[in-house]
Amino acid sequence: MKRSTLYPMFLYPMLVVLVLCAAPPLISAAKIGATAPDFTGTASTGKTFHLSDYRGKYVVLEWHNNGCPFVRKQYNSGNMQRLQKQWTSQGVVWFTILSSAPGKQGYVTANEENDYLAKTQAAPTAALLDPTGEIGHLYDAKTSPQMIVINPQGVVIYDGAIDDKPTTDLNDVPGATNYVSLALQQAMAGKQVETSVTRPYGCSVKYADATH
Amino acid sequence: MFYRALTCGAALLLCAASAHAEGTPIPHGTLELIARNQWITAGHTLDLGLRFQLEKGWHIYWVNPGDSGEPPRVEWQLPEGLTAGSIEWPAPRRLETGSIVDYGYEDRVLLIVPLHAAASLAAQQPVRLGAEVKLLVCSHEMCIPGKAELSLTLPIKSQPPATDAQNRDARNHDARNDELFTATRRSLPHPAPGNWRFSLADANDSFVLSANLGHRITQAVFFPLAESQIENAAPQKLLPVATGFRLTLRKSDRLLKPIARLKGVLVLSAEGSYLIDVPLSKPGAARSKAATVLESTQ
Repeated sequence: MKRSTLYPMFLYPMLVVLVLCAAPPLISAAKIGATAPDFTGTASTGKTFHLSDYRGKYVVLEWHNNGCPFVRKQYNSGNMQRLQKQWTSQGVVWFTILSSAPGKQGYVTANEENDYLAKTQAAPTAALLDPTGEIGHLYDAKTSPQMIVINPQGVVIYDGAIDDKPTTDLNDVPGATNYVSLALQQAMAGKQVETSVTRPYGCSVKYADATH
Repeated sequence: MFYRALTCGAALLLCAASAHAEGTPIPHGTLELIARNQWITAGHTLDLGLRFQLEKGWHIYWVNPGDSGEPPRVEWQLPEGLTAGSIEWPAPRRLETGSIVDYGYEDRVLLIVPLHAAASLAAQQPVRLGAEVKLLVCSHEMCIPGKAELSLTLPIKSQPPATDAQNRDARNHDARNDELFTATRRSLPHPAPGNWRFSLADANDSFVLSANLGHRITQAVFFPLAESQIENAAPQKLLPVATGFRLTLRKSDRLLKPIARLKGVLVLSAEGSYLIDVPLSKPGAARSKAATVLESTQ
């Protein structure tokens, strides 16, 4: 946010126009260059979070399913926890979102999630329990670990995969280009995010059957 | 059983093959490495196959897995002079899970991998072909990663195996494999016949794939080889015309840059599956092509 003063204010409308022109004339919940839809989420700690309370900060949304091999790759390697610590220490708000429906892979109770966070030493701002899939559908989240980055103006600046290695292999973590870090670095440096959309590889989000 | 014991006594190699007939366990299924012939011939190519059998409700993925998932990956351990080619992917199925669509295989599938044997290979005792397969097996509810260490031992000879029935009688198992390989190869996507004409037009939020095959087509499904070109989950709208069809494919909402061409597998239920690679028509050209199709349908 400090960096935003680097750009003269009159440039902003132009940047927004550029971003909008680059996007296709479509359709889908969260779009690059569009305002991130607001939501209210209940964390595993019981606390309530409103996205709109975090205007002025970068926000990362991480779709999570603790049984998904693609997610386990990130957590077993410690990569996701490292990213959470790295970015929250720089003022980024990080919401881990659990959209698995009861009875499906990745569904957990609040207590189970708190145990998981402690055991894996995860460090998101909050883990939001979304068993109805409301937040997931709002953002058209397709997979875990799909990642979305929102800038301090509340605009979606990245939507897609966590990195460029769409595998479940732990060995692929070290050499991967992390799109979330790249988007945050570029945006914080006042640059346009080069790779703003990718295929969000992973496991399908295990939504409740009735809600689509 | 008695017959099997006899067969094993008669041919040790066959016995070893039979012992693996049930396959190596993978999550919710089995996987087996099989070969089309009994031996490797120097200077020839031999079809190897990864034979998957999956429990009902579970699937593995095509080379482009679609919205989620991961295709199987093979690492070969082969003696010098033998090199494995790429997997020859049969046409997949659309696997729908709620709002997402994946491309993959259910039940049984044979993934053929050609094994090239150098001409300089000397005839020798059996060699071991090793394959480490990493894969992801999913149901609508969950995904489980799997790994299988497979191997197959085959001799190297200078002459190709005889294909006459007389020799086949002695190796029923081999003949069954041969039929499976033949059927699978027949079903693999082929290049489209030279007299078929395809064109691709940009229509705002969609691509329209027009095909002139000389006859009416009432069923067609397209599977893109590249990710994030078309919206996997969007219904593909087919319009049969007298000379073929027009298929409307919604653009992916992750498609930020214009595409130059659309490459993938076209499955026509009656005719089989075809590999197509269609350049996107320039706006002017698109109009004239569309006009041609319209005229020919009247």
